[in-house]
Amino acid sequence: MKAISIVSAALLGASWMPAQSPSGGARDSSQSPAAMPRPKATTPQNYPAEQVQAGAQRFAAQCGFCHGRDAAGGESGPDLTRSELVASDVRGDKIGPLVRAGRPDSGMPAFKLDDADLNAMVAYVHNQMDQFATLGGGRRTVEPEDLATGNAADGRAYFNGAGGCSQCHSASGDLAGVASRYRGLALLQRMLYPSGRPAPAPPKAIFTLPSGQTAAAPLVVDDEFTVTVLDPLGARQTYQRDAVKVKIDDPMSAHFAQLGKYTDATMHNVYAYLDTLK
Amino acid sequence: MKQHEYVWFIFAMSGALACAQSADPKRLADPPADAWLTYHGEYNGQRHSRLMQLTPENIGHLEQVWRFETGQNPAIKASPIVAGGALFITTPDNLWALDARTGKQRWHYQHPRNDAFHIGHRGAAIYKDTVYLTTPDCHLIAFRAKDGKVKWDVTIADSKKGYWSSNAPLVVGNHVLVGVSGDFDNVPGQLKSIDAETGKTQWIFYSTPPTGSNESESGGATGGQMWTTGTYDPELNLVFVGTGNPTPVLNGRVRPGDNRWTCSIVALDPDTGKLKWGFQVSPHDTHDWDANEVPVLVDAEFEGQRRKLVMQASRNGYFFVLDRTNGKSLLTAPFATVNWAKGIDGAGRPIADPAKEPTQDGVLVAPNEAGATNFRPPSFDRKTGLLIVSAQDGYGIYFFKNAHGAYGWAGADYNVAGRSFLRAIDYRTGKVAWDHAIGEGPGTAGVLTTDSGLTISGDNRSSVIALRTSDGSTLWHANIGRMQNAPVSYELDGKQYLIVGGGNSLYAFALP
Repeated sequence: MKAISIVSAALLGASWMPAQSPSGGARDSSQSPAAMPRPKATTPQNYPAEQVQAGAQRFAAQCGFCHGRDAAGGESGPDLTRSELVASDVRGDKIGPLVRAGRPDSGMPAFKLDDADLNAMVAYVHNQMDQFATLGGGRRTVEPEDLATGNAADGRAYFNGAGGCSQCHSASGDLAGVASRYRGLALLQRMLYPSGRPAPAPPKAIFTLPSGQTAAAPLVVDDEFTVTVLDPLGARQTYQRDAVKVKIDDPMSAHFAQLGKYTDATMHNVYAYLDTLK
Repeated sequence: MKQHEYVWFIFAMSGALACAQSADPKRLADPPADAWLTYHGEYNGQRHSRLMQLTPENIGHLEQVWRFETGQNPAIKASPIVAGGALFITTPDNLWALDARTGKQRWHYQHPRNDAFHIGHRGAAIYKDTVYLTTPDCHLIAFRAKDGKVKWDVTIADSKKGYWSSNAPLVVGNHVLVGVSGDFDNVPGQLKSIDAETGKTQWIFYSTPPTGSNESESGGATGGQMWTTGTYDPELNLVFVGTGNPTPVLNGRVRPGDNRWTCSIVALDPDTGKLKWGFQVSPHDTHDWDANEVPVLVDAEFEGQRRKLVMQASRNGYFFVLDRTNGKSLLTAPFATVNWAKGIDGAGRPIADPAKEPTQDGVLVAPNEAGATNFRPPSFDRKTGLLIVSAQDGYGIYFFKNAHGAYGWAGADYNVAGRSFLRAIDYRTGKVAWDHAIGEGPGTAGVLTTDSGLTISGDNRSSVIALRTSDGSTLWHANIGRMQNAPVSYELDGKQYLIVGGGNSLYAFALP
């Protein structure tokens, strides 16, 4: 059986590029902001104290469970005081549309808010970013130096040996310079389960055609009932599972299995090794 | 079989007549077929319907009968209450009464805007002709069921101190038992009993010592909130409730010892609030693993002896079976991926591995903060002896350093990855009989089983699914949006309804 890719490399690249786009200073949203140097607001903004105060209350009620009442991270939402999006926002021009549309992919619901409430929340989040910038550290954060307890040589041996990492990755190939792209907690999270974007190796749906040939396409999403892939033109196509013969090849499965194999020592060692790949 | 159905039919009809207008508390112990009178449907927490109209053979013909859209942002995370042909459904600050046959709105209450946490709401409660609603800012409000007139409105906790409520109250006799939440402040865990008629407080049970108390049993821990609905055994006259995690959450150093009665199943006298016994499923928790999951009551054989059991699939990844007359352990077994315990002690409690407490450089822990399961209620199927649980195999990283302090969360943790399943646990052995994958990340849908052999729940994308209880195979699904509540079922005018929430809508399905 011969595998044919129905998506040309060029088109595949094109369709994934918008999500990757590391250029232009815009940092990828999946990285934990906590491990990054604190971004600074690009446009200084001042808000009346009453508006900040009102925003604090509205924010705590609507957003606090996920993002923390202080906006510095909570049960499931990231630390907004280190958010690039907040840093580049000017009076809600970026926060507003995001809050009203939500981020369904990452579990953030859309919020219907009137302008007064939204503006107050924007004021509060900007104010918190300024406040935290002067704290230098603070609670609920993990700094790169907290993580520097592993042994890079042992990590390298594990990477190339027992860990099996080198079966898919290479220090001079895909991981060259990885420690320059990710630091601290973001590097550790990326190492454990690189689930966000850019996806280093997107899962593929492998269809078996009636002829016996197989055809692979990048997977967008699947469940028990349907499989959605990108066709050669970059458009989404959804197939009913019971109408096709399809298998999902997900390189993330190896990362998930590896989570059960790490000890805390080997985890910190591999992190220390990756942190040398600047 | 036929005779069983007939007996049930007669029983159901008599129940329907007796319960046409109101929910007499006596009926709660034996709910009629045309109603769903408590969060769990029955006091035992089995969330199991005896209705037989929908079967594995005909479920493929289900059709949508009605849909009710709230018109608001928040997803429906509540389980409906159904009584006297009316259905009551909630979101934070909101209560709707619908016609259970058509889904048409009868009345709607909206609570004044407030600044407490609005993360979800689990449902209303009913006693005679009064409906009860908890609010994020910790009010308990009593409504006349027929038209929504407010009878009284009392405060159950101080939301300014960090409490909020999402709780579906449990009604036992004339006691309305209400719990609260509060993980971000060091506040004591409290469950209140409110007089169903007057709104007066009857008693308060504290899972950790009240502010100003000299008791040291908790080792300095606060927390242990009771935010899910408990279960009740009328014979023993005991209420069973799961308690939440201790605070400060990730910093265990400032609260040495087991931190009683956090992360526990407690048995309480509903007339006095006195503790009969407690069993700690996570002594000295440092991972936010509330033991609030439903303590399911089952009367069945265990190792050759007829017993009164209570069982819980807990957020910490272990499945517990206890003798509910005395709280003694009968079985403890992992039902999901776990790496935080060194073994099981003589009392049946997992022995926490100190090496998996949060550290400055981080530890990799299974399960993650979302837990091996969580708020979504399981269901127990008597015929197969299976507890069907929405389970997750997951990993997280946990951090604590002194700079994180000793207040509220006091640390940092991040979910790394998780895979979810509907998982059937055999209560006799703790072994997994089958797994049905529902997607990545933690699940959000509760489970309903039926006497006809159906398991109803939702996947992690947008489908309500019906499985065969005996083997977990798929029989039916419908795309309704992400399910974040638990299904219920009732029969009116000879038609069995299946009610599920998807997104901000409630859907009713039935055979054509």
